[in-house]
Amino acid sequence: MNSENYEYFWGVDCGSTEIKIAVIDSSGQVVHMEKRKTLFPLTENVRAALTGGGRVPVPFANNGSKRPGHKIIATGYGRAHLDFIDAKLTEIKAHGLGVGFQLEGQLPKDEPYTIVDIGGQDSKMIMVAGPNDVQFVINRKCAAGTGAYIEELAHRLQIPLAKMTELEKKHDRDLTLNSYCTVFASQEVIRILMEGEKVENLIHALYQSVVKRIFEMAPIGSPTVVFSGGVLQYHEALRAAFSRRLGEGKRAILAPQAQFCGAIGAAVFGRNK
Amino acid sequence: MDIKQVMKDYFLGLDTAARTGSRKVAWCTSVGPAEILRALDFEVFFPENHGAMLGATRMSTDTIPEANALGYSPDICSYLTSDIGAYLKKMTPLTKAYGIKSVPRPDVLVYNTNQCKEVMHWFEFFAREFKVPAIGIHSPRHLPEVEDCHVTDVVGQFRKLIAQLEPIAGRKFDSARLSEVLLLSKQATDLWEQVLATAKHRPSPLSFFDGTIFMGPIVVLRGTTIARDYYASLLKDMNERIRKGKAAVRVEAKRIYWDGMPVWGRLRAQSDLFALNEAAVVASTYCNSWVFSDFDPQNALESMARAYLGIFINRDDSYKLEYIDRLVREFAVDGVVFHEAKTCPNNSNSQYDLPGRLRGRGIKTVIVNGDLCDLRCYGDEQAATVIEAFLETL
Repeated sequence: MNSENYEYFWGVDCGSTEIKIAVIDSSGQVVHMEKRKTLFPLTENVRAALTGGGRVPVPFANNGSKRPGHKIIATGYGRAHLDFIDAKLTEIKAHGLGVGFQLEGQLPKDEPYTIVDIGGQDSKMIMVAGPNDVQFVINRKCAAGTGAYIEELAHRLQIPLAKMTELEKKHDRDLTLNSYCTVFASQEVIRILMEGEKVENLIHALYQSVVKRIFEMAPIGSPTVVFSGGVLQYHEALRAAFSRRLGEGKRAILAPQAQFCGAIGAAVFGRNK
Repeated sequence: MDIKQVMKDYFLGLDTAARTGSRKVAWCTSVGPAEILRALDFEVFFPENHGAMLGATRMSTDTIPEANALGYSPDICSYLTSDIGAYLKKMTPLTKAYGIKSVPRPDVLVYNTNQCKEVMHWFEFFAREFKVPAIGIHSPRHLPEVEDCHVTDVVGQFRKLIAQLEPIAGRKFDSARLSEVLLLSKQATDLWEQVLATAKHRPSPLSFFDGTIFMGPIVVLRGTTIARDYYASLLKDMNERIRKGKAAVRVEAKRIYWDGMPVWGRLRAQSDLFALNEAAVVASTYCNSWVFSDFDPQNALESMARAYLGIFINRDDSYKLEYIDRLVREFAVDGVVFHEAKTCPNNSNSQYDLPGRLRGRGIKTVIVNGDLCDLRCYGDEQAATVIEAFLETL
């Protein structure tokens, strides 16, 4: 079936923490986005998440079969475990397509750019030098520099994630967290707290540490960097720390729907193919 | 010839020799001087092969922690920890495969540090356990070129080794016999090289994953007519597959080079992953590591020294760069996957920016983190994402 035969292109980014869904219609407009916590059994939960939010018809008939006119593309760690999809692609390609779609006309045409995506359990740098010239790096197995690292330390500090940026702004000195390992970093945080350090300074150190881990993955040679993924979308202080580290002469852009970049990219992939 | 039968006969022969005492048993490292041992009529057992079997059967998952608990770090060679752990737990994959109760009891252990120093620690453990000698060839390491001084050094060590082995073997060393054995090794290794070279054909009749199975005899049976005959037969099979248009993967849209150790416990999953993504892994450093072109039966000891010193793992990075570059071009490869094995830095060539230098020559590369046997160091999802994403970029 060619793409012309479809009315809706569903992109499902099945992440470790959340399932993000984006739907593009045949005219190329994003007509629906929604997200759910990643729950198990995965297939049933993802199926139930494809509601369309009243804006798009549900892609399944009552008997569970897929309705004609709907194409579903999966990405994210759960992509291989869904039995109702038409195709799948990796998060690397999906984020690349999602960023390209959302920032069309705003990205330099003849100049490479770098996408930084900090996800729940991994971080990626995608270096785009042209449509067929893409390189990437993913963090090693260690969770340092990922959303899981931030969540663990926020939990240890007993601070809601939503309040972290606000608290970080009140920091009054630089600290360094050394450890690669999330567990060791937690121990380091406890030791520093025992020594009487302010929580605000620890949050600042935590963000600096995440940025440091990303910069260790590969050199950023391009003048433009695009932030993608939920962690960078929701942690303004992290973006600020990253931009400071990038320094003069570099431009950092937050993708408009950063958390949905993967889902939008998957939908774009479905429409293009 | 059927690979399963060849390997079964080999292990049953070893088991009989060890149980009945009909022949002396030597343990040897995989790129150790096996031909000297065969010339002295030893049955030869290769613990690395056993380690690979422990990994492939995923028994390593149970055996590695035993060795860790004894004091062998989780960060060192997981062949070593798998094998020592299996000994401690009195387990072997040979039982399920061939009904063999245990690995053959050695009369002597012979290692060569041309691949790493871990083999020395490994064999010393068993020397203490079995109260038999562990004799090492201590090779000059990481050579830009194999020079005469290196060869002289190793030939001297071979002569000393022979003198130490004669009383254990209960026979005098016969250099004519060594030449015969080395001729068989040379014939087998030349045929193995030709088998691997059939993957230059598009589509390739075999993949790296097939190669990890087919390579059994060149590791454990070189110096025998069995290995020579097996590879002659395999070469015929591969040429027949080419003639009939039979390919290793259904669609071969991309051709990949694999550097580093196999992830033994995930061979099937990885083989399927590449095939599903229409990629064939057509060449590897690992399978080529048992190509010993320098063997010369007329000049046995010297040529053995040259061949065993000249192996990829024992060379410097400039040699490795040129070697991979050459194979990438010869096999028309689209990209190189470096397996960075957590417990095998000696066989992980990604740690000193070799991939970056290959990229500088226009060769696409990616690094997959994992391990040869220790699946605690391997993330299925992450590895699949890295490999799939790499294939998407080619």
